[in-house]
Amino acid sequence: MEKTQKNRMKPYIWKLLLVLVLLAVPLIFSGSDYIMLIICIAMIYLVAVSGLDILFGYCGQISLGHAAFYAIGAYTSAILYNRFQIPMILAIIAGAVLGALVGAALAYPASNLVFHFLSLATVAFGEIVYQLLIHSPGKITGNFNGMFTDRMRIFGIELSTYKMFYYFMLVIAVVFIIGKIFLTKSRVGRAFTAIRDNSVAASGMGINVRKYKILSFATSAFYTAFAGGLYMFLACYVHPDQFMQKQSVMFLTMLLFGGTGSVIGPIIGVLAVTTINESLRFLEEYQMLIYGILLLIVILAMPGGIAGTVKKIYWAAKRKFSRVSQEG
Amino acid sequence: MEVFLGLLISGLALGAVYSMIGIGYSLIYKASGLMTFVQGDILTLGAFLGLTFNTMLRLPYWLSLILTVVVVFLIGFLIEKGIIRRLLNKDVNLIYIVLSTIALSYVIQNGAQAIWGGTYLYFPSVFSVTTVEILGVAVQPEVILCFVMALVGMICLYIFMNKTKNGTAMRAASMDRMAAEACGINVSWTTGLTWGIAAGLAAAGGMLVGPIYSVYITLGASLGKKAYAGAVIGGYGNMYGAMVGGLLLGLFETFAAGYISSEYKNLMAYILLILFLFIRPTGIFNERAIQDE
Repeated sequence: MEKTQKNRMKPYIWKLLLVLVLLAVPLIFSGSDYIMLIICIAMIYLVAVSGLDILFGYCGQISLGHAAFYAIGAYTSAILYNRFQIPMILAIIAGAVLGALVGAALAYPASNLVFHFLSLATVAFGEIVYQLLIHSPGKITGNFNGMFTDRMRIFGIELSTYKMFYYFMLVIAVVFIIGKIFLTKSRVGRAFTAIRDNSVAASGMGINVRKYKILSFATSAFYTAFAGGLYMFLACYVHPDQFMQKQSVMFLTMLLFGGTGSVIGPIIGVLAVTTINESLRFLEEYQMLIYGILLLIVILAMPGGIAGTVKKIYWAAKRKFSRVSQEG
Repeated sequence: MEVFLGLLISGLALGAVYSMIGIGYSLIYKASGLMTFVQGDILTLGAFLGLTFNTMLRLPYWLSLILTVVVVFLIGFLIEKGIIRRLLNKDVNLIYIVLSTIALSYVIQNGAQAIWGGTYLYFPSVFSVTTVEILGVAVQPEVILCFVMALVGMICLYIFMNKTKNGTAMRAASMDRMAAEACGINVSWTTGLTWGIAAGLAAAGGMLVGPIYSVYITLGASLGKKAYAGAVIGGYGNMYGAMVGGLLLGLFETFAAGYISSEYKNLMAYILLILFLFIRPTGIFNERAIQDE
């Protein structure tokens, strides 16, 4: 009796512990503003990568141009705030909505393309957005000068320290992750998985494949563009070169590293890749070289990402354990 | 008229380079059903290697060109054997193969930076004269060289693919893998050969544009990305389509830059790519390979 109660309490204890750790993060790293900044950026990436996971992990549609949505979110929110004094949070939402609309507009003609050619179309899309950023009509994006704005302010309170921004981001990230869970467990989410696993069969079962592909692109773009807006008001400055294909590839790397089609995957991926990136920073001009080599080694040694490898080890161990217990 | 002719000549030269990269894309897609993102950076590598042979070892241009193509051919062959084949054997999701080629492009680009530095390197001119006159238009002789050499390269490739045993084996293997294997063709060898030839072509392209644009680490990255447009215009997977598509792309880009605005020339190349993908993904040669998946 006592034992079952203990077992029932166990998940709650873990969750409580997790919440406490998350709340305590700024206290642990209170000594370093830099680490807090990296953690804030990592949480923004988490929102963006979760968005990419909806598209790739659940719906199976590849994108090598997600940096473009990130850029659309960042620039739209900054332009709305700087020029029209629209409150920041509304500007971010407007940027995300625009991102979603552009995503839908891209997905409508692109929904006939599969895998490689979809990735090519998204590469082209990313380049088009980048070219428009650096040669914008009327220099609305500041072209190569980049774009400045103010620090995040919500309901009249300026999030002047990274610690404050962290707590704000915590709320946002939780909201977006819960949104993702609800979406993927819903009818829509099941349609996404059906399309990922076999789009012909899905359409045979009466799923409107094109409609759901567009929906997944739009949702994914909404997440990533929202993250872009958040980044804008955290960093207060962006340069077009931050939105090149490299950034899209990084989102994808984070997702693949952590594992697709799960809540925890993007979290692991963002943490792992951010840690690697930051710990390679001392190499300066050799950073990207070592990063590339590391990436190649990881792909060759553990196809399926960290999550896949851990899962494999877990299952192997479990099988071995059950065999042992059976014999015993 | 003079402006038109000048643009025509430089457009054809640029287009020839796009063709060479695009042929590589098409060959690889036909042989392995894969898309590679490393082609552009192999072009950069070729340009740097050629420059090193030419200036450090003081070899004549012709010899450096041949040497570069041979070395990069081996690199391309090894890429297929060491990375792509291994991943295919592990039966991973194709996305990891895409990512591995991107990682490879980072390694090449940043490796080149570590070895040769991040500055623009001047490629010594191949000819003693600085300009030649064609129909009253002064043209850099290297531009002519680029076009002519690319043409020669493509003719050699045509002969290789159609008149030699290895070329025939390559075509057979790309048509039907199993049947080719049953006929005793070593498909693993022909696939490696394909990647090697694709790399060699890109490297030759790098040697040809080097004297025109000078050599820097992102030389190939943007050329390689825009060359997708050429390959798609011609019909991705079709070798001859890639030749024609590349030339068309080069002409389109150069004329757009000359008559409309040079600011938007990259933008227009990518718009062309995305429009073709949306409206006519099989390209002007109606290549069906794109619908295989």
